[in-house]
Amino acid sequence: MGKEQEAKEQEAKERTLEESFAELDGVLERLESREITLEESFRAYQQGMELLKQCNQKIDRVEKKMQIIDEEGGFRDF
Amino acid sequence: MKNVYSVGQVNRYIKDMFAQDFMLKRIYVKGEVSNCKYHTSGHIYFSLKDETGSIACVMFASSRGGLTFPMRDGQQVVALGSVGVYERDGKYQLYASEIIADGAGLLYERFEALKKELEEMGMFAPEYKRPIPAYAKKIGIVTAPSGAAIRDIQNIAYRRNPYVQMILYPAVVQGRDAAPSIVKGIETLDRLGLDVLIVGRGGGSIEDLWAFNEESVAYAIFHCKTPVISAVGHETDFTIADYVADLRAPTPSAAAELAVADIRKLTEQMRQLEERLAKGMEKRLTDVRTRMEYLRGKLLLLSPKSRVREQRQTLMEKEERLQHRMETVLAEKRHRMLLYAERLKGLSPLDKLQQGYSYTADSSGRTVTRTAQVAVGDMLSVYVTDGCIRAEVTEISGGK
Repeated sequence: MGKEQEAKEQEAKERTLEESFAELDGVLERLESREITLEESFRAYQQGMELLKQCNQKIDRVEKKMQIIDEEGGFRDF
Repeated sequence: MKNVYSVGQVNRYIKDMFAQDFMLKRIYVKGEVSNCKYHTSGHIYFSLKDETGSIACVMFASSRGGLTFPMRDGQQVVALGSVGVYERDGKYQLYASEIIADGAGLLYERFEALKKELEEMGMFAPEYKRPIPAYAKKIGIVTAPSGAAIRDIQNIAYRRNPYVQMILYPAVVQGRDAAPSIVKGIETLDRLGLDVLIVGRGGGSIEDLWAFNEESVAYAIFHCKTPVISAVGHETDFTIADYVADLRAPTPSAAAELAVADIRKLTEQMRQLEERLAKGMEKRLTDVRTRMEYLRGKLLLLSPKSRVREQRQTLMEKEERLQHRMETVLAEKRHRMLLYAERLKGLSPLDKLQQGYSYTADSSGRTVTRTAQVAVGDMLSVYVTDGCIRAEVTEISGGK
């Protein structure tokens, strides 16, 4: 059980932005359907917000300089 | 003298003979270029020669599209055209419509052979194509450190998303050392665990691009674990690398667009998702609230309190109706009374007095209506609206 939980968390960490988006689409679809119960919709909403947060965290906002890699495998700014 | 022809007639006759020859209409001629002259009119005059002789050639300006490289003396070429007679000089020449470097022809054959071989091995098969990640964060580039390709990639990538890390492997992309250099670049960058690689260079002749048609480069791309976008030359250039790569970009600029997600679009997408999420939840809650309100209303309607109120309401309505009815009856009666009063008023003698009339009575109270009823000296009572005037008869006139 503990291991499973861990695996799940690991999976969440390694989810790519695209996968998060796809999952968000699923959550939205559920939320927008008429069948969902109120409890489920709260859960879906929470899950969606969490996914959005993850997406935001995945987007690195630090500007990068192009690096050049040399024969020895060293890096320097291009 | 019989059977003597003018020069023009002979030349025209020969020209017609050439024109009627099927083979001369469309012929490939191989040889070495000599006396090549680019005329200011746009026409190119040259000769093709081999060890046995030479043939004069011309490529008119209108056919220049058939020549894609600068032609120089000494080059081995294959020219496609028709052989015809130039009457003015009495010379035949090749009117070239297409010229390809003979070497290029050989390269083309090699290209086709390798393409066929790799295709048969399944190296171009769609099932081997890995998807290019939509939001790559680290991008490797194998190309020359100088030149248009890296500049274009850098500019476009930076404009779309300055937060993407790009790593350039400065490769030799032309000449003998190019293929090994590109292979090393791909292998080096593949080990870094990047999201996607761009492998390519700017435009050039088929010889310039040749490294991207080498088998070793094709294998390096095929075995690369990182998804590879090929970006070789211009839109019209196809290389083996393009077929093996997971995605072919028509140009290096296009490769940058395919590899780098536009950060503004991404941000906008996230904003929209957030909005949808909030709206979805809000709608859900509104739905629930509406349903609850409806049920509450229904319940209230059935409560005893509501019953009592309803009955009170009915009672009040009845009372109101009663009162209203009563008032109507009263008003009607009052109205009728007024009508009677009006009519009575017309009949009242007192009423007449109002208009200046009066009535006169004698001392015994009888109403005087004729002169004969009174004599001079009688006392009379004259009644007016507000009282009675005592009067004495002093004279009687009229009467019968």
